Amino acid sequence: MQNTLLLTLLLPTLAVPAVYLTGKKSTKAAAILVALIALADIALFSTTVPIVLDPAAEYKYVESYYWIPVLGSSFTLFVDGISLSMAIITLILIFIGALFSVDYMQEKKGLAEYYALLTLLSIGLVGVFITRNLMLFYFCWELMLVPTYFIIGGWGYEEPYRAAFKFFIFTHAGAVFVLLGIGAIFMVTGNLDMFEAQKALITAQPDLVRWILLSLTVGFAVKMAVVPVHMWLPDAHSEAPAPMSALLSGVIIGAGAYAILRVSLGTVFPAIMATDLGNQFLHGLAVFGVISAFFGSLIALVENDIKRVIAYSSIAHMGYVLFGLSLFPFQEAMAGTVLHLVNHAVSKGLLFLSAGAVMRQLGIRDIREMGGLAGQMPVTATSSTTSALSIGGVPPFACFISEFLIFVGAFQTINNDNFYLLPTALMLVATVLSLAYALRYIRHIFLGPKKLEEAKEVPFYMKSAMIILVVLVIVLGIWPTFFLHLITTVSFV
Amino acid sequence: MIEILDVSLPIIGFVLFSLLTIPVVNAIRKRKNKMAVLVLGWFSTVFITAAVTVANLAIKYYEQMSSQPFINISLAGEPFTIFSSIFMIDAVSIYMAVIFIIVGAVTFLYSIFYINLRERPSERYYSVMLIIIGCIIGAAFSGDLLTLFIFWEASAAGSSFLMVYQKTSRSLHATLKYLVMIIIASAFIVYGLSIVYGITGTLNFWAVKQALIALEDRHLLLIAFIFIASGYAIEAAVVPFHMWLPDAYTAAPASSSAFLSALIDQGSYYVLLRVFIYILTPPTVLEWTVMLAFFSALTMIVGNLLALAQNNVKRLIANVCIADVGYNLVAITSVTPLGIMGNLYFFLIGGITTALSFMTVGILNRRGFETLDDFSGIGRRMPFTSLALLLGAFSFAGVPPLAGFIAKYLVFTAAIEANLSWLAVIGVLTSVIQAAYLLRLINYMYAKIPHEETKIQEPKKLLAPIFILVAAIIVLGIYPTIILNLIEPIIHQLPFIP
Repeated sequence: MQNTLLLTLLLPTLAVPAVYLTGKKSTKAAAILVALIALADIALFSTTVPIVLDPAAEYKYVESYYWIPVLGSSFTLFVDGISLSMAIITLILIFIGALFSVDYMQEKKGLAEYYALLTLLSIGLVGVFITRNLMLFYFCWELMLVPTYFIIGGWGYEEPYRAAFKFFIFTHAGAVFVLLGIGAIFMVTGNLDMFEAQKALITAQPDLVRWILLSLTVGFAVKMAVVPVHMWLPDAHSEAPAPMSALLSGVIIGAGAYAILRVSLGTVFPAIMATDLGNQFLHGLAVFGVISAFFGSLIALVENDIKRVIAYSSIAHMGYVLFGLSLFPFQEAMAGTVLHLVNHAVSKGLLFLSAGAVMRQLGIRDIREMGGLAGQMPVTATSSTTSALSIGGVPPFACFISEFLIFVGAFQTINNDNFYLLPTALMLVATVLSLAYALRYIRHIFLGPKKLEEAKEVPFYMKSAMIILVVLVIVLGIWPTFFLHLITTVSFV
Repeated sequence: MIEILDVSLPIIGFVLFSLLTIPVVNAIRKRKNKMAVLVLGWFSTVFITAAVTVANLAIKYYEQMSSQPFINISLAGEPFTIFSSIFMIDAVSIYMAVIFIIVGAVTFLYSIFYINLRERPSERYYSVMLIIIGCIIGAAFSGDLLTLFIFWEASAAGSSFLMVYQKTSRSLHATLKYLVMIIIASAFIVYGLSIVYGITGTLNFWAVKQALIALEDRHLLLIAFIFIASGYAIEAAVVPFHMWLPDAYTAAPASSSAFLSALIDQGSYYVLLRVFIYILTPPTVLEWTVMLAFFSALTMIVGNLLALAQNNVKRLIANVCIADVGYNLVAITSVTPLGIMGNLYFFLIGGITTALSFMTVGILNRRGFETLDDFSGIGRRMPFTSLALLLGAFSFAGVPPLAGFIAKYLVFTAAIEANLSWLAVIGVLTSVIQAAYLLRLINYMYAKIPHEETKIQEPKKLLAPIFILVAAIIVLGIYPTIILNLIEPIIHQLPFIP
């Protein structure tokens, strides 16, 4: 089909009112509708897979529509292996989130709005990954913001609007720097297409390019929650309802990493790649990656709030991803990094969902008060364990393989650049830490003596949502070939 | 060929209709049962007639634009042109006239329902509104400094009646403040103009510009510039001359605030744009960009910080208007085609968004909700009104896909293009502050627990014009090409300015 990608965006757009109206009558029907839309979107995306995998096709899959010619913007959508993987994983998480919400959100009010917002969110999230035009990219980038704000605020825990406010202001402040960068790119090149701009930037002044790169990267890093601009993340992730946490941690911060890869490194960076500035920039990424990984892991080791442990572990994992990005443009490292985004999204999504399940059944969030739940909640325990071990980097679960690829890339880079010796060694230590907090998490909640007699297993929809993800985590761990195949079709060299 | 009649017809039409409005509304009042229909019928006749005259002018202009982009039309014949008023038509003035009519019509619709028709002086209220629209269109078409001054002052002075309409002590006080300020401003402007006339011997835009470029000794020009610039800056509420604006807009009835912010405010930026860029073009005539950049930074910072400290929502929106002045100045300062484009887009979007916010706040004020605390939980009690205010707030904050985003993007990009990156950085940082206080407002509306749970009946008639504007900001946000293509010829005109 000619308009597949446009359809993937139009479908949820048109579905928003339908979901809302359905939700007014039956919330369960609305949830199923959201899940079906996500599935339909996945089906639409899967039709492009053969084109993307075809080595002969040079430009992969592009669709372009008339939009704002005055601002050098056309409505250009495209998929290559990386964006396809990210889009598919996003939709999978939306699907799972909608299923999970059927039971999880049952007692909450105003669910018609919730599902409508979730659909709205999916437009922005998918759009970010499949656009080639920076203006459209920014539209989608900010479109994630408003629905997320209202979902966290409206259906979160404790003081949700406070966390949502923090999230909005931090990421919006980051976004305006992205805007400055985009404006500057437009000034220099007169074109906002990522690939055209890349060519045009090569001839630009390196000094100017450096500022553009910095401004963009700082903006994206806020979304990615790199230390020291991570402050919004622990609050937002822990106060949000579980399906939203899963999306936040799985794909929204992943979108930050994707943006650094695609825009900062893909579009702007080649202009100064050969200079000293380029090397310094990459080294900077590596340093912040190591700092994030250690900071996140160490706090996750001592945190007692069930969701905060996971939230800090997200910071740690974004540290790995940032470290992986600093190895640009090596094939193994990049493939590993993107694969880690995918694997982390699935594993962390599952971990958040299972944490949400525990919180819903017990009504408490301090992990020291829990214990011995493995017998009472076997499915939740299994999914928590699977995902926590995956987060800890244990084979055969998903995250192991991608971390392994990142390290392979790192070792190759050490040959060329001695600087990476120390960061790589430190990163290896950080993986041990991540296993430590993962094990601590499981031990506190599921093992040991039974502390809470009344705990029961979760209802059907939550159970099935988690089981699907468990299967996915294991399958991706044993057989990463599909995504790896997709990702390796993209070459940055 | 464009005749004098084509240009003056919209202006004459509005003035004439405004005079007729008083007897007509009085007559309509006697037929109590059909009042609303008749009033709507009368005013739609007015606006349709005006729209037809402007459309006629626009079509004639665009037919011959390629051969003659600037058309000067003088009231008097050849030997007396120097003494006569002159109209100038170019793409900018046509564009301004069109948006004045459209936005004016929507805000007018709101005032018909907002101001009680049965009240005695309401016919004068409408009549003044019409005359102001006429004058401001006249200001858009004027081709010499004196004509611009006369039309612009007429509309600025006329607005004082709209502010004082409720005759409370607060509104009298605020209007007095406003009148004093604009009288000072017009004295400044007249003084500056007389100096300009003294050194150039003419007031026509082109002639003044040519004479000023050739000027050797620019000391006197500098003095004239200071007077003119501060005069117009007072009327546009540039910090530090902004004090009248929050008072005036808060004390005025909501329909007036909406109308003034959408027309008079945007008109004042337009006047700044005309005088600064078309006549005092830097660097050929005068190098004023650094000074204006400083004031625009100050306006953005002070406007936003003042808004941050507000507790009264209407006053908060009024302070957003001040911040908007700053964003408009950024674009004027850049003196780039992109900046002018951003300006012109901002005139429309800023007008729509402020009007929209004032309108919704007006509905809420009627129910006795004034402060942030009163707004607690209003989102659940009046969902549609709150939704409109929410979208307006996000558009102010520059969140895509709402129209305010494109406006801000153009403005900041223009600043980067003009090598004023520091101004762009201040701009984006202040717009984060803006997002913060607007989000605080939204927080109150949606997150706080309402004082009472009952739903409140929402006035459907008042919501109709509001949702026209909401639709406009959404459509223009997603697909700004509609307007940008209209503005684009102006970019190509800019280098031709002699």
